[in-house]
Amino acid sequence: MELVFALGLIAFKVALLIAILLLLPLPLTWLERKIAGHMQQRMGPMRVGWHGLLQPVADGIKLLTKEDHIPAEADRFLFKLAPILALAPPFVVFVAIPFGESVSVLGAEITLHVSNMNVALLFVFAVIGIEVYGVIFGGWAANSKYAVLGSLRTCAQMISYEIPMGFAVIGVVMLAQSMSLLEIVRAQADVWNIVYQPVGFFVFFVAGLAEAQRIPFDLAEAEGDLGAGFHTEYSGIRFAFFMVSEYAVMLLVSVLSVILFFGGWNGVLIPLPPLLWFVLKVAFFLYVFMWFRFTFPRYRYDQLMAIGWKVLLPLSLANIIITGVAFL
Amino acid sequence: MSRAVDRSGTWIGWAFFADLGDALALTFGYMFSRSVTMQYPDKEKWLPYSRYRGHHFLTRDEEGEIKCVACELCARICPCDCIEVIPYEDEKGNRHPAKFEIDMARCLFCGLCEDACPADAIALGQQYEFSSFSSHDLVVGRDDLLGKPGKATTGGGVVAARLNTEQDVLVETSEPQGYNWWRNIRRT
Repeated sequence: MELVFALGLIAFKVALLIAILLLLPLPLTWLERKIAGHMQQRMGPMRVGWHGLLQPVADGIKLLTKEDHIPAEADRFLFKLAPILALAPPFVVFVAIPFGESVSVLGAEITLHVSNMNVALLFVFAVIGIEVYGVIFGGWAANSKYAVLGSLRTCAQMISYEIPMGFAVIGVVMLAQSMSLLEIVRAQADVWNIVYQPVGFFVFFVAGLAEAQRIPFDLAEAEGDLGAGFHTEYSGIRFAFFMVSEYAVMLLVSVLSVILFFGGWNGVLIPLPPLLWFVLKVAFFLYVFMWFRFTFPRYRYDQLMAIGWKVLLPLSLANIIITGVAFL
Repeated sequence: MSRAVDRSGTWIGWAFFADLGDALALTFGYMFSRSVTMQYPDKEKWLPYSRYRGHHFLTRDEEGEIKCVACELCARICPCDCIEVIPYEDEKGNRHPAKFEIDMARCLFCGLCEDACPADAIALGQQYEFSSFSSHDLVVGRDDLLGKPGKATTGGGVVAARLNTEQDVLVETSEPQGYNWWRNIRRT
């Protein structure tokens, strides 16, 4: 009975998580288009629903009913595999993400995470690394020059930026003395990590922008020079998979920034429910992502490499050394 | 822009990304400035100036007789040959057009017909909503031209309007002037 209850709870949490992650791109695309519009003194979507609120639903229906086109020269197996490979890892990663301390409902203690791993941080970086295969396979399988160029860029970009990203969080791990995300947030109960680790946060966030393939590092899909980059040849539901994956990664980087550097669900000054604090902080970072997108131009490819290897990597290494010295 | 250049000239501004910060501040400011979108045809409509050259119209004199004397000067001066006039003589011996057709699909709205007309009979009015799925519907005859709205006395403003699928976009306001659209343009 105990086991059935526990399993049922996990199944429920996983289902809830998948539902949220699948539905979240709807408001996020709406928000992105609205923010884009207002930053450019336009209005964004206005016609479907109140202030265009139903526009993502209409777009979703359009994507689902569109022809699922596979180019004649494409590698059909890889072409079909790639969107799934891009979509699954960001969903899997959220298994290890805690959204708050345990809450008790009807006398039962319910944890706000699916799994509290003691190496959660390592798990997150290991699994999110797989996502890049979806992008690379997608670009390769389409057998189109734009798509291949996009995925080539992604290869280089991901290799350059995973390393500083991994190094940047080591400072956080040193401060919390743990790789469990739950412990990391608990260690920030008094002072957030951003106070001790501003450089670490800077490196993490810039690398996170590159990881989520957002402007100014969206070279993989650079619509100006590559059509749509790795998903040029995708249409219909498979294209939607890539879009959902992109938004899930963006959400993941926001959530990780909040958990690792901005105290997770720990509030400051205003007493709000912890979960609300968490959501507000994540929403702020999602906004920052969109804000950056409509402010900055795209970096050139060699600039991207130079920033990754010559700036972020030394900065993150120096950050580790300084944190270590301060600990001694 | 000059501010960003000045501030990033010093190394401290360079180290803390003063230029990027300025850019972010600028886009953030723009996010809360007024939108310049004219919500045509859902909510707003632009009213043309009186000098605007829209759909042609034919005028009548005080007795209600058509002013046109069917001299065919407009047809002759028309650079795209889109006016066809066939005259007739009524019982008093006055010339009038039996047929006056303008092919709006060919017309380039230069207004030369209006300049050439010796009787001030034809002019270009303020109506601009007459798109059609068929080019045959764009050939407008004498009686339709007589019924078209004439020159605007005021204009150049944006007024409240509503989309009507049967007719044009209906203007829904008693105030004929509307607001000046240029006031929404941010000039900093």
